[in-house]
Order: sequence, then structure tokens, then C-alpha cells
Amino acid sequence: MRVSPLKNRFLQNDASFSERYGTEIVTRVRDVRTEYDAIRQTVGVTDFSFMQKFRFPEESGLDHLDDMMAGNVAKVRFGRVLHTFLPDDKGMLLADCYIANNDDEFIVLCESIADDAAIRQRFLEKDGHGGEDFTESHIVIGIDGYKAWEVARQLFGADILGLPYLSIERYLFNDIPVRLLRCGKTSEFGYLIMAPLEVADALFDKVLTLAQSFGGFLCGTDIHNDLRLEGRFFNIFAEGRQVGDPLVLGLQWMIDFEKERFPGRDELAGRRAAGLRKKIIGIQAPDSVMFETEKTLFDGDTAVGTVKATCFSYLLNASLGLALFENEVAYAGLPFHYGSPSGPAIRTISMPPIMPKSLTVKLDEL
Amino acid sequence: MTEAIRVLIEQRAAIINRFKEELIHRLNLPYEPQDLHEDVSLLGAGLGLDSLDALEIVLCIENCFGIKIPDQNTSILRSINTIVDYVLTEQEKRG
Repeated sequence: MRVSPLKNRFLQNDASFSERYGTEIVTRVRDVRTEYDAIRQTVGVTDFSFMQKFRFPEESGLDHLDDMMAGNVAKVRFGRVLHTFLPDDKGMLLADCYIANNDDEFIVLCESIADDAAIRQRFLEKDGHGGEDFTESHIVIGIDGYKAWEVARQLFGADILGLPYLSIERYLFNDIPVRLLRCGKTSEFGYLIMAPLEVADALFDKVLTLAQSFGGFLCGTDIHNDLRLEGRFFNIFAEGRQVGDPLVLGLQWMIDFEKERFPGRDELAGRRAAGLRKKIIGIQAPDSVMFETEKTLFDGDTAVGTVKATCFSYLLNASLGLALFENEVAYAGLPFHYGSPSGPAIRTISMPPIMPKSLTVKLDEL
Repeated sequence: MTEAIRVLIEQRAAIINRFKEELIHRLNLPYEPQDLHEDVSLLGAGLGLDSLDALEIVLCIENCFGIKIPDQNTSILRSINTIVDYVLTEQEKRG
């Protein structure tokens, strides 16, 4: 099992750990509500070093990556980040990926639902791409939250305020180059810093100190599952793992159907042409109900859907979920019954159901 | 399918279909209507549209449904579904 170079820092903070697809992850540091509030109200610092990380020279890496990914890597402009996925030969999800065009290099960060070693082999097994595996030589620190931009600004200067969503920039930390990606999947401001091991501890300590100065905390990855669902960001570790088919999950925006080749392209095109039989839709429970995955949803006596991902929204004070519905009833605003034909009444909802605080801040006007 | 649900679906589907076709046409998006999940984020993440595209979306809503979007109210534009909710609410107000 691959262990994060930052493990000791999290152990010192009484964090909980678990294994996921051959990597150890920090699941929780504080209680759920504290971590939730850290990101929704201030800032949370999370260890994303479990991600697979690669660097490819731009010239030799472009075709290699474009042949692997569902999205069009050739269309990623300098300084921008493509959010796409790595499909298997059937066009099913293997990894959720950021592909960053950082001038003379492509940086790849992956969250995978396949074994860590297998994913790393998949990226590097062919010859001639010149790629390097940064997975164990670099850390990734996530800074997410309403005040995340304050931490990034203190670290790297006011220049970061001009970074649009899904962009990358190189900065120096202790005279060592680090890469900053503006991304994030919580619907608040979000940044990932990828840095080599030689500055890992110093960078982590600096980020945490800054975050704490804005009232922030260390967080585990579990809270990100909740926040992704609440903000309706795709989560490969929840609905992605449960469903597997990117079309059913509504991820067509990650795919360039005009590309001539990538793994599973023909299978995806075939499923697209045949039309979807199922679709994933948001659901919200009344006060008394907490959704559980794999529970059934009913229209009268007819089973119409199955819960695939759940979270509790403190902003809405309600249990939320994503459920896989038969296509003909896969619409927001419909009443169904949860668990049995006579179970509690629930509703399908429009996602995202919350308005994050970060949407009230315009960084380019600060 | 119960009658109540059938009516709700017809009402919503009509708005969704009209809006998606207009959106794809106006923004020249490389998708078919069925490729656009109604919850996909329109601005920033997801479709990755920018502030100019946001203006087109506002015009699209006005043209399709005769409904104006209040200035600065970007929360309505979070997804196709949040736009449809707004259109349904405004249509209900008009009776």
C-alpha cells in the first residue's frame, strides 16, 4: 500500500486513515461538522497525495495522452486544465483526471477506481512518451473553501487572483518550483499544490499555519465526498464507482465524441447512439429520513430508481442523494417513495441545490 | 406512471427540450440535446462556459420563454435544471 509522505503530519493531528485501491488516504481529522464548516465557511487543508501524478514533456506527451483520455488533450490551451477521464476498453470509468498544459509540460493528476500500480503502469507502459511518474516523488495538498484564495495569495502573491477555474501556474516555494492548479470540487474556491518531497513538510506547515490564521482546519477526504455531492461535482469514489458508465452519469461533457480514437470510444459511441435507459438524478429527503445507498425508490408500486450516493447537507439540513432512475422518470421536481411503495415521500431535485459562499466573491475584482 | 407525475414530466420536458436546442444552437456546442445532463454545471466547471456565454444564456432564456433574468443573479444559471426551475416559477406567477 502506498503511504503519503505527509502521514506523520496527519498522525500528529489524530487523523483516521483507510486504504483505497492500493493507497492509504486520510479519511477524517476532525468531526464531520467541523470539517464541513471549515470548507464552507473558511478553509480546509487536505492531503491529496493519494492521487497518481505524472509529468509528460509537451512535445512527446501530447499524442500519448490524447490517445488515452476521453477528452481532447490537443485542445487544452497553455496554462489551462482539462477535466476528463481515463476510460477502460469498454468505455467505463477508470480514473477522473486533470490534464494541465503547463507550457512545456503536461501535468496529470488522477483519482482512480483501479489499483494504484495498474493505473501508473497504464500511463507509462508505452515507449516514446518521455513521461515521468511523480506519484511518489511529489505531494499534493488541497486548499478548499471560501477563504482558500486568501491562503493561496499569502503563499504565492496577488497574481493567483487572476487564475481562472481550471488553470495551472508555476510558482516558487523556498526557491523550489511547485505547480498550483486552480480546480477543486467542493463548489467553493479550490487549489491543488503539487510539490516535490524536498519541500513537502515545509510547504504543508506553511499552508496549515496560513489556513489556521483564517480559521481553517485540516480535513480528511471523507468530507469531500459530502461536499462534492452537495455541490453536484462528479465523484468517482461515490457515484462513479457505483455506476461506472460515464454516459449514465451525465459526463458527456468530459468526452470529445469527434476524436477518432481512445479506449472504449466505439463502445461509448454505441451506447450513446442506442440511447440511455437510465440516468442519475439528485434527491432530497424530508427531515426524518437519512438516505442509504442501494435503497429503492418507488412510483406507486413500481420500482423506478436506486440510491447510489448520499450525504447530509448542513446548509439545507437535509439528507441528499444521487439516484439512478429509469430514463422516462429521470426528472427533477417529482415525488417518489423511499424504501417501499408506502415509504416516506421524497423528491427529485435540481442540482446543485445550494448556493456556495464563494460564488458571491469575484476574485478578479478584488 | 401516475397521472400526476406524467403531467409534471411533460411540463418540465417541454422547457428542457426547447432550452437545450436553443443553447446548443446559440453557443455552437458540440453536443446533441441528450448529451447535456440537466444538472451539468454551465459556467466554470462542467461545460466550462464563460461570462460571454452567460450573456448568451440569458438571451436564450428571454427568447425562448419571454422571461428576464435579474441582473447579477448568477445562481439561476448554475445548471439547466436551475434555469428550468426559474422558468417554471415565473410561468406559474403569470398564471
